[in-house]
Amino acid sequence: MRSLTPAFAVFVLLVAAGCSTGPKTTSKDLFVLTEDSAANKAMQTRLFETKNTNELLSASAAALQDLGFQVTETDRSLGFLRAAKERSAREYGQEIRRGIVAFLTTLLSAFSQGGNTIVLIPVDLQQQIAASLIAQPVQEDDKRQEVRIVFYRLVWKGDGQSGDTYLPPGEQRMEMLRDAEIYQQFFARLSKSVFLEAEKI
Amino acid sequence: MIDRAVRSSGSGASTRSRRLLLWALVASCLLFSFACAKPKPEPPALLAPTEEQMKIRNMQTRTFDISDRKVAMRGVISALQDLGFIIERANEPLGMVTGARFAEPNYYDVVGITVTVRQANASQTTIRANALFNNEPITDPEVYRNFFATLERSFFIGRN
Repeated sequence: MRSLTPAFAVFVLLVAAGCSTGPKTTSKDLFVLTEDSAANKAMQTRLFETKNTNELLSASAAALQDLGFQVTETDRSLGFLRAAKERSAREYGQEIRRGIVAFLTTLLSAFSQGGNTIVLIPVDLQQQIAASLIAQPVQEDDKRQEVRIVFYRLVWKGDGQSGDTYLPPGEQRMEMLRDAEIYQQFFARLSKSVFLEAEKI
Repeated sequence: MIDRAVRSSGSGASTRSRRLLLWALVASCLLFSFACAKPKPEPPALLAPTEEQMKIRNMQTRTFDISDRKVAMRGVISALQDLGFIIERANEPLGMVTGARFAEPNYYDVVGITVTVRQANASQTTIRANALFNNEPITDPEVYRNFFATLERSFFIGRN
């Protein structure tokens, strides 16, 4: 009867895990302004005292090009611009963790007779950093223009292994970049290229 | 000797029954996991217009007292940006804006939205929003109500 206990435990766990998908954001929450919305807007937006949206848009493109981005899409009449760059996403921390886990699981595998238990955690390999920018007048016939930029990134993972199962590469993860320094860097470069002082909102 | 043989055959029978029980457990466990992933029944007529579609279109559409279509589009873009959407595509002649965002903190869920802005008459514009949650259309009216509330706020800020 003792051998049945683990089987029963596995059964209960499977039933419990089978239907639940962890904490999930519902679509209802996603169309409501949050407490962070205003702070994010302030970080992503700068005002410029100029009438010329076109000049501001091309200066934005130039600033992004200076930062290594390639412009992928534009719409002049709406002052819209999208740019992206690809870079390596390898980090020492992840590589070290992968090494330690691989070493420990190899040791475990050598001492136990239960077969292959080697685990190789997939690490981040490649990332695409992208920016979506809108330059538009604050109000119609206004002298001031508003530039709002959003940075985000897509990360692709490499391959891994869990016991005898091979984990193929290519798993994707996305995240918004909320590091104020990136935005400050971009706006500093932009104000330099248009010879204008950027005002915070 | 005979006594021992009987005892050993008896214990063999009990291991067999235990093994049977274990298999039954595994089978029922598999059945449970299949039950969770039951596929949805396909809609009977995929392209036929239904009453449901009309309802969805009604809740996705709203008319605003804005005479300039470009102003309306700028309001849409600002509202989407305020909600944390990344503007992916914008086309002024077509009056179309497409955005997406990750359902933070869950980066594996994606929400997409396409907004079309049309001139209804000289003083009004009609705005229609289609939203997707992980490639499934959102049919919850509250989602669209929330979106249009943010949009109205964005227009109000733009005017003042």
